[in-house]
Amino acid sequence: MSSGSVLSIEGLTKRYGATTALSSVSLEASGGEVHAILGENGAGKSTLVKILSGAVLRNSGTIRLAGAGYDARSVLEARAAGVATAFQELSLLPNLTIGQNLLLPRVSSGAFLPAGRRRILAEATAILGRFDAGDIDPRRTVGELTLAEKQRVEIVRALAHGTRVLILDEPTAALPDTDWLFRQVRRATEAGIAVLYISHRLGEVRELCQRATVLRNGRSIGTVPLVDVNDDQIFQMMVGRSPQSQFPARPQVPADALPVLEGRQIAGGRLRGIDFVLRKGEILGFAGLEGQGQSELFRALAGLNPRVGGTILVGGKEVELSSPRKAMATPPGIAFVPEERKVEGIFGGLRTAENISLPVLERISAAGFVTSRRDAEAIAESAEAVALARRYFGFRMDELSGGNQQKAVLARALMTGAQCLVMFDPTRGVDVGTKQAIYALIRRFADSGGAIAIYSSELSELVHLCDRCAVVYRGRIHAEFAREALSEENLLSAAHGHGAETRERRAG
Amino acid sequence: MTPIRSLFSSGAVLIAIVYLVLFAIYAIAQPSALSAFSIQALLNNSLPLMLAAAGQTFVVLQGGFDLSVAGVISLANVVVAVYPMEGPGGALVNLLMVCAIGLAVGATNGLLVAYLRIQSIAATLGTMIVCQGIALLILKAPGGHVADWMSYELTDSLFRVFPVTALIAIVVCLLWLVFRRMNVGIALYAVGRDETSAALSGIDVRRVRFTGFCIAGVLYGAAAYMLAAQTATGNPTAGEPFLLLTFAAVALGGTSFSGGSGGVIGSVIGAATLMLMQKVLFSTGISSFYTGVFQGIVMVLAVLFAAAVLHLSQRGRASA
Repeated sequence: MSSGSVLSIEGLTKRYGATTALSSVSLEASGGEVHAILGENGAGKSTLVKILSGAVLRNSGTIRLAGAGYDARSVLEARAAGVATAFQELSLLPNLTIGQNLLLPRVSSGAFLPAGRRRILAEATAILGRFDAGDIDPRRTVGELTLAEKQRVEIVRALAHGTRVLILDEPTAALPDTDWLFRQVRRATEAGIAVLYISHRLGEVRELCQRATVLRNGRSIGTVPLVDVNDDQIFQMMVGRSPQSQFPARPQVPADALPVLEGRQIAGGRLRGIDFVLRKGEILGFAGLEGQGQSELFRALAGLNPRVGGTILVGGKEVELSSPRKAMATPPGIAFVPEERKVEGIFGGLRTAENISLPVLERISAAGFVTSRRDAEAIAESAEAVALARRYFGFRMDELSGGNQQKAVLARALMTGAQCLVMFDPTRGVDVGTKQAIYALIRRFADSGGAIAIYSSELSELVHLCDRCAVVYRGRIHAEFAREALSEENLLSAAHGHGAETRERRAG
Repeated sequence: MTPIRSLFSSGAVLIAIVYLVLFAIYAIAQPSALSAFSIQALLNNSLPLMLAAAGQTFVVLQGGFDLSVAGVISLANVVVAVYPMEGPGGALVNLLMVCAIGLAVGATNGLLVAYLRIQSIAATLGTMIVCQGIALLILKAPGGHVADWMSYELTDSLFRVFPVTALIAIVVCLLWLVFRRMNVGIALYAVGRDETSAALSGIDVRRVRFTGFCIAGVLYGAAAYMLAAQTATGNPTAGEPFLLLTFAAVALGGTSFSGGSGGVIGSVIGAATLMLMQKVLFSTGISSFYTGVFQGIVMVLAVLFAAAVLHLSQRGRASA
């Protein structure tokens, strides 16, 4: 294990027009260290990552790599210096194969030579094998992969190029199993590589990292050894205030409360017959490892997967959810909050206010026209419910941080007036502050008589939030836990197929 | 995806089937269609549009539109007719001239779009108008004279059996097959699909876009050259019909206008199909006024069918 400072950043500043994304950020990482970078979304982590990766140029400040000045002006220059990043948004091309993606931009050995399939296969197989990912077939097209598989390929590509500094930006956001990643990270540190690790999951950070640098509002607040601070102290550094971590207990939902959304033997794709009942005022959680059918289920409930088999009842009546519009319009109304807001949730080029008011344009327009004042008035209540500050209304959606984008997506779901929210991993990749706002919203929504079906990849979230939680395993509800029985351990073991509680006992 | 499905969802195969069906109809309606002379005439007619559509593909694949195709063809066409040079050597000089014109316009487009970040449709609209203006300055009205060697040899057959034009089309397709496996070719697909991810993967996005526009320009020049060889005369508005037909050919060939999928071979066959359709309609006695109507309908049907096949293959995969 080598030591000594491999990467040292001092007084790093980056401005986009009038807004300052980073101001005088300093950080030092040694070889063999896993250094966490913590901060809310919008704290400047992405900008820092992009500057180090060569994708964005800094305004001022110095970066030194193993003592020498470092000034990468492109991803290629960064790689040449041994700095590589696994990006949070994933930088793979879905229309190319895994092999081509791994070798980009030099898929072929010479500029004028065509790249042979066999050479791509051999080289990509070698790279994947080097990082214990030999189970991935490099001939597959990236577009066909699950999010988890894409994330692994993205990480492998960074591992292959990051010979001095490896940057992992939310590498576990879509990884159900972190063992593989942690093994690779430990191997990298044994080789003397400095790893910058960005994650919202403090458990992981504690397991893997030695020190953490906290960013807040584009400034580095400080670097702390992780053994010296507890979670609350870290949150405090991140948000500048202490967060309320526990919720007051919710009253029990009566077992005879009106069913709002019901599924009977929903099947198709990965789904092999799902039954559930969601009642008025209830928060029903769904847990499961990646790819057990939960995304098909939620898409079906949102009206995005109309060809699914089985029966869906909304408000006690059997309906065919043929489109999101139909789902919204069937009383009491279903609104969907998607997982990949970048892809499914937002119109990046439109203003935030327009994004939020989209479902009710017909209601607020006068003779087909909508003014920004009418927009702002109409959305004020929903925006307040999700704690989205009014000053963001006029921003273009793609200018907002991930957390604020998610708030806007939630506000839009509220705008529909739907009494049932179907949320698929709504807090994925959002910061602590936004998470708290989303939790508060979910509870208030249920308290006021709404019903919520929520899938989350973070089990602790389900444990804290839900009245009941169903575990999806291989396309079926494998187990169901009432609030008293809810624990991360229970959910996790059921998600791995252990301890069949309800179904198999009933069947057997 | 099963092999058969993947075969059908590639645009080139679909349009090749459409072409063969149309050709069968043509042969039934007009038995002389199968004569060597008739096939050669059909190919001679089709090649300019094939080359222009091949060029357009390099821009559409990166998610752009190149309107300058009309300007380059008009300009290069009149240059060949106003400065004819005899013999094979002269033909080569003429060819270099039109390629240089195409390259210059393509490089200008590339500079404007890739480096100055002007939207491709606006930038190429500008260069198209400029080129059309220059064409009119060089030759006010249809006229001029194309070198005899060009207009005879390039529209003839090698050893009396193999049309030169077919050979050129095949060479273009073979070059494409090499190009799409080159770094820049793979990068072109990457840039067309997602510019940001391409840049984060280490691709020099600007250079790739620039290269695409340059290659497109050269192919338009070649298209104009073959058009001149076929018509043996110059026309300062020769490029205009090509503007919309190249886009139709690209769409027919299965290349997506959102970029990142498709290819030159589909566009070449798409262009051939559009030209064949004119012949079929003519031979079946339908008024030429309907040609555009039929071309448009077939194009929309082909795009719809391709989308349906893609949809089905994805569904099949999801349930697999």
